[in-house]
Amino acid sequence: MHRDGSLGVAVARPRAAGRRPALGRDTGTALLFLSPLFVLVVGLILYPCFRAVWLSLTDKLVGYPERFVGLRNYEYLVHDDAFHQVIRNSLVFTVGSVALKVVTGLAMALVLDAVVKGRTFFRGLFLLPWITSTVIIALTWRWMFDAFPGRGFFNSVLLDLGLMDRPIAFMATPAGAMAAVVVANWWRGFPFFGVSLLAGMHSIPRELYEAASVDGAVAWRRFWHITLPGLKHVLIVTTLLSFILTINDFNIIYVMTRGGPGSATQVFATYSYQVAFGQLRWGRGVTISIFLAPLLVVGIALITRALLRERT
Amino acid sequence: MRARTVLAAVGLIGFLLVILVPFWWIASMSFKTYEQLQFATSIYVPRQFTWENYVGLWTETRFPLWLRNSLTTALVVTLVTTVIASLGGYAVARLRFPGRESVASLILILYLIPPALLFIPLYRVLAELGATNSLSALFLSYPTFTVPFCTWLLIGFFKALPEELEEAALIDGATRIRAFVRVLLPLAAPGLVASAVFAFTLSWNEFLYALVFIQDERSLTVPVGLNLLIYGDVFHWGQLMAASVITTIPVVALYAFIHRWMVEGLAAGAVKG
Repeated sequence: MHRDGSLGVAVARPRAAGRRPALGRDTGTALLFLSPLFVLVVGLILYPCFRAVWLSLTDKLVGYPERFVGLRNYEYLVHDDAFHQVIRNSLVFTVGSVALKVVTGLAMALVLDAVVKGRTFFRGLFLLPWITSTVIIALTWRWMFDAFPGRGFFNSVLLDLGLMDRPIAFMATPAGAMAAVVVANWWRGFPFFGVSLLAGMHSIPRELYEAASVDGAVAWRRFWHITLPGLKHVLIVTTLLSFILTINDFNIIYVMTRGGPGSATQVFATYSYQVAFGQLRWGRGVTISIFLAPLLVVGIALITRALLRERT
Repeated sequence: MRARTVLAAVGLIGFLLVILVPFWWIASMSFKTYEQLQFATSIYVPRQFTWENYVGLWTETRFPLWLRNSLTTALVVTLVTTVIASLGGYAVARLRFPGRESVASLILILYLIPPALLFIPLYRVLAELGATNSLSALFLSYPTFTVPFCTWLLIGFFKALPEELEEAALIDGATRIRAFVRVLLPLAAPGLVASAVFAFTLSWNEFLYALVFIQDERSLTVPVGLNLLIYGDVFHWGQLMAASVITTIPVVALYAFIHRWMVEGLAAGAVKG
């Protein structure tokens, strides 16, 4: 009874003012509704983040107590040739696949935009790689590039077309293995660009194109002066998002090459895993991922700003 | 105009080939006999079609067990995620409290933190809770990426619902909680379904945490189990392909069901790629 009465007042007042009061009214309910989220976030995300920083300052080996060593792990990695190669590999892998995704995604959006009948169907079909498990995608491309003709698609086709006279072991060479993991990552990621860019294209006002047609602008000029500038925002957000996820990729590389041959495709996440669970050096393993943190902070800040602005 | 049509048709065929050839390659290999694979006969289409890989996979490997583990994990995580994310999403979208904007940004930031950054410390935390080496490790760790994502998605859905309906319920004397359960949740059903499908798919496909947190072969999920099939016995390519086909089917089926909503979510730029 009492409760209903007070609620009635609470609702009646903002009705008069046009809005509910900004402070206080829902704080209790909000705390109640957000508490499971907070428990999860604090216990299983923020606390582990804090533990990661602490671990990176120790020489924690599995089975031994952790000992504080200051910045020694960081110092070690700065001078570690293997880690330098990891940085180079990660950049080649990330820049290569993201660039391919942008170009292919743009082409896919233009093609779908020109398709009149069954666009929704094709859009759904083209998204298939993006919902398939990355492990299965990695396995698939491992077989596509396999050296044995009956299992390797490229070897089978190239041999049948008479373009080569014996099979090539693509995955056995450093450059071939890198190309293979880039292709697998590209194939999984470009449909996301395609669909996002298509949505972006449809939010560009029609009148701009009509005006340009009246002025006699040819197709590529319309693309260059209207479509591309109109897609700037979507392009920046999707590229940043993809960059963050690609530079942290683990699944594709681990399943396809395990970082090999040698360490030709070793990237941040696989190296961190190898040091932590292969060599059992947890302190150093964590430090490897922390080296990415500054880059992530910048990327995340940019995306957050762009998306929050879009939503409000 | 004609040039544009021809170009679009060529582009469409090109993309269809790029997307479908790898799927077809795997599916066709899963229907080949061991001899066909070994001696590279009937390369492109399995002439003399066989189910032996599927039968072998089901009877000779632990795949059925892994499938059950994956399904259990995905269902538990989806349920937990839906509850936490719908409460949180509603609070941020509709309730007025100090720090609301900060909570919204925090959720977005958490969604962008890559799992590759957290697997080592999370392993330690789970070990201290005594939760490693069993599915409970996954029940606890998967919500760390499904919840921020689904909450972010649901904030958008709740914000898009008309405020008047809820206000009417409040004027009729309902409490906030009642209004949420009786009025808003049913209206947000499409959003809840989309968010549940995302949570399911993300859990179903997850690899790194399952690889790191579980060693017992009986508690593995499908993605990690498949990895064992490759390195465990190199002669079982056919079974591996069959397993890939079986694992992909449920996600494709779910996705065909919600694909329209999913694309809307994508357009909001809220989805991992």
